[in-house]
Amino acid sequence: MPEASDALQKSKLEDLFSDNSSSDEALSDNEKLILSTKRPRKRQKLSEKTQDAIDKIKETNDDEVFDEDELIKISLDRPSDFIPDAVSHIFGNSDFSYLKLKPDHSSRPIWISPSDGKIFLESFSPLSEQAQDFLVTIAEPVSRPNFMHEYKITTHSLYAAVSVGLETDDIISVLNRLSKVPVATSVVDFIKAATHSYGKVKLVLKHNRYFVESSSAEILRMLLKDDVIGKMRLQTIDDQGTGVDGLVQTEAPKQGDLVIPGTKKNHEEKNSKDKTKSKSTDTDKNEDEEPEDDVENIYADVIGDAEDENADDTVHSFEIAAENVETVKKRCQEIDYPMLEEYDFRNDTRNPDLEIDLKPSTQIRPYQEKSLSKMFGNGRARSGIIVLPCGAGKTLVGITAACTIRKSIIVLCTSSVSVMQWRQQFLQWCTIQPENVAVFTSENKQMFRGESGLVVSTYSMVANTRNRSHDSQKVMDFLTSREWGFIILDEVHVVPAAMFRRVVTALATHAKLGLTATLVREDEKISDLNFLIGPKMYEANWMELSQKGHIAKVQCAEVWCPMTSEFYQEYLRENARKRMLLYIMNPTKFQACQFLIQYHESRGDKIIVFSDNVYALQEYALKLGKPFIYGSTPQQERMNILQNFQYNDKVSTIFLSKVGDTSIDLPEATCLIQISSHYGSRRQEAQRLGRILRAKRRNDEGFNAFFYSLVSKDTQEMYYSTKRQAFLVDQGYAFKIITHLHGMEDLPNLAYASPKERRELLQEVLLKNEEAAGVELGEDADNLIGHGISKKLKSSSIKNQASMAGLAGGEDMAYVEYSRNKNKDLGVSHHPFFEKNYYRRRKR
Amino acid sequence: MARAIKGMLIECDPSIKSLVVKIDQDYRDIIIEELDDTHLLIDPSKLTFIKKELNRILADNSYNPFDDEDPQAVAATLG
Repeated sequence: MPEASDALQKSKLEDLFSDNSSSDEALSDNEKLILSTKRPRKRQKLSEKTQDAIDKIKETNDDEVFDEDELIKISLDRPSDFIPDAVSHIFGNSDFSYLKLKPDHSSRPIWISPSDGKIFLESFSPLSEQAQDFLVTIAEPVSRPNFMHEYKITTHSLYAAVSVGLETDDIISVLNRLSKVPVATSVVDFIKAATHSYGKVKLVLKHNRYFVESSSAEILRMLLKDDVIGKMRLQTIDDQGTGVDGLVQTEAPKQGDLVIPGTKKNHEEKNSKDKTKSKSTDTDKNEDEEPEDDVENIYADVIGDAEDENADDTVHSFEIAAENVETVKKRCQEIDYPMLEEYDFRNDTRNPDLEIDLKPSTQIRPYQEKSLSKMFGNGRARSGIIVLPCGAGKTLVGITAACTIRKSIIVLCTSSVSVMQWRQQFLQWCTIQPENVAVFTSENKQMFRGESGLVVSTYSMVANTRNRSHDSQKVMDFLTSREWGFIILDEVHVVPAAMFRRVVTALATHAKLGLTATLVREDEKISDLNFLIGPKMYEANWMELSQKGHIAKVQCAEVWCPMTSEFYQEYLRENARKRMLLYIMNPTKFQACQFLIQYHESRGDKIIVFSDNVYALQEYALKLGKPFIYGSTPQQERMNILQNFQYNDKVSTIFLSKVGDTSIDLPEATCLIQISSHYGSRRQEAQRLGRILRAKRRNDEGFNAFFYSLVSKDTQEMYYSTKRQAFLVDQGYAFKIITHLHGMEDLPNLAYASPKERRELLQEVLLKNEEAAGVELGEDADNLIGHGISKKLKSSSIKNQASMAGLAGGEDMAYVEYSRNKNKDLGVSHHPFFEKNYYRRRKR
Repeated sequence: MARAIKGMLIECDPSIKSLVVKIDQDYRDIIIEELDDTHLLIDPSKLTFIKKELNRILADNSYNPFDDEDPQAVAATLG
């Protein structure tokens, strides 16, 4: 019996491969779209990699003892003869000890939890590499430490798997091969349900209006009967024939130049069962019929066929309003008819193409290709989010995607500084003409003149609901009036959902790509992104990237600094805000900081010290005689300090406040010390770590970057610190805990060594009012967008230290001047009157 | 006349000492004598109470990732 089933499996597998020839073709053509990657073969290999993995898994782990089908049927219910053992009660319903291990379980690397679909992988197993390739395709990575990885099967991840051509049976049988215990029925059912209904309903953007489309009127009728979706429907007066049921019937869009004859009937019957198969037969036929087809047409064919599976002769559709798109999407998800939102950009002739290609010299890294292959898995552009660590080249991923789609593009980022960076990167990496790149910020409102182009702007410019100036209103009208092929959303994690909603509804875009390093938020709003943008398509493995030298290896440590008894007594007496000041200014922490700076300076490291609290920043930096930068440091001074840090051997330590979290790029830095931070923000921790991930010296032999987090023991800070680390721990970083810095006491001229000095410091800290404890208001992305602090903290009034000029917007002015300067270099001239005024102001 | 009181010597970190002093202020009659930064003489009968209080206060400072987990999210994953 087992042999027979094996043979069956094999033939199935061969089938799969032969079928896939067509989708491979699609892919290889897709590669041609990404012309400039210069390595078209590679692409194919990547998508095959998963197949390879599946193949290998099947070969290496031949099941001789069990019949797969039999195993699947093993019920999940606790058997009646199950006797709970001594510890069963601790696990409650999650006690799965009755699940029988397969005899050769030790060579099988995964275990799937029957209750929530979590997959645990032994990453030390010889099979783990293949298993990882497979799991990344069908599940989302949750946590990837050294030896044990955790993945989770979600509907989104399964949709992604199906759309790259994996079949339900295949997913299940491979999982079963890898699993130590038979895959539970609940998991199997879940996979089947999720993959079955995929792709039946489509959301289509046509002439700036949204339509829900399906080839089967039944499904649409069913959707319209739903009380949520039914209400959302717009009554349209169209000249096209309106059906009895009020559905608009239209001719299916003809993809490509070919009409596929004859195969329609087969199609309809087969389509639910065997998508890939029908696809390939169609392609074959077409090739026979019109052998003179150039590659382009074959491509169009494949895409066209894929389209036809869902859309036969006629498609049925109803219109929904742009502002309801999210609600409808959400509802469709709930009733298990997820909407397919893919942009068939190759066959979009209505929107003009944009002349944009990667420069031949541009090389993209393997993981960047991998992430893009997820996005363009079937030759169409899927909307979603790509997660890459800081410094791993997110921008280039965005640019390559843009070069693939080649339609009008809009890029949104968080600040005007990054607007300029994006523009500059576009010009650097690809062939787009500078006059086609428009920038829309508060000080620059020029638009491109051609039919298509690229616009870079900020979220706040687009989402602004207050009155706009005449100019910017004009630009906004321009932006909202047209259709965009592609939108890139940079740093998606910082933008509040409400603002996103405005942006997404205001701009009509076919495909959306969100980029971020840290898909976490403290206010649990991250799941909203699923409906606003799309699912997470790819998440890079930080550890893997650092092993391959794309990002630096980092040693993380948490240094525990005991509170001195005087400080702790005051700590216990004070309110929460003042407490913060006390644990930041803890003399032991100061000493630890001094010691670490001294130690690393003598090793030749370049050190950045981060402090969110400006008062502490100044105290520390002044006492230690180091330069520091915070929100109100003038631009000129900043540049001066940063340049010295980069090139001057004498300046190897700088203190940065929150302003340094994201926008400052210092590849020289090799060591980070964090003395105060933004409560339990996991994102900030990761962003700060990102400052040293791109260290210049990362490829030196045995190079390690260092990341220290100084924490006052027995205080609230311990809580925040552990919470902050959660994200990095999930990425596989291990935090060493240092309870005692050896040799700290012997440091010459150690600060606050005597009780008298400590008492003086305490006096000083106590005299400070609460305002000093606040975190800085600054140009950090959080504050720019305005939702950095979680709601709970916000509701109790927060006082912040800021200069008068800062409150009046004076500090931002400095920024404005800076960017204007840059603009000037790029050839924007001003009226002589302003020139004069501007010059005078700068002089002052 | 000299009076003898039964006491218990405890040794702890400076910060824990401060905590015990704080507990003493709130509940009285715990500490007999503060000796130095790391040593205290306390009433032996109050030991368990002090331990309990310390655990309670210090628990606020440690982060348990499972507190955060949304039980609904877990339940909803498999529909």
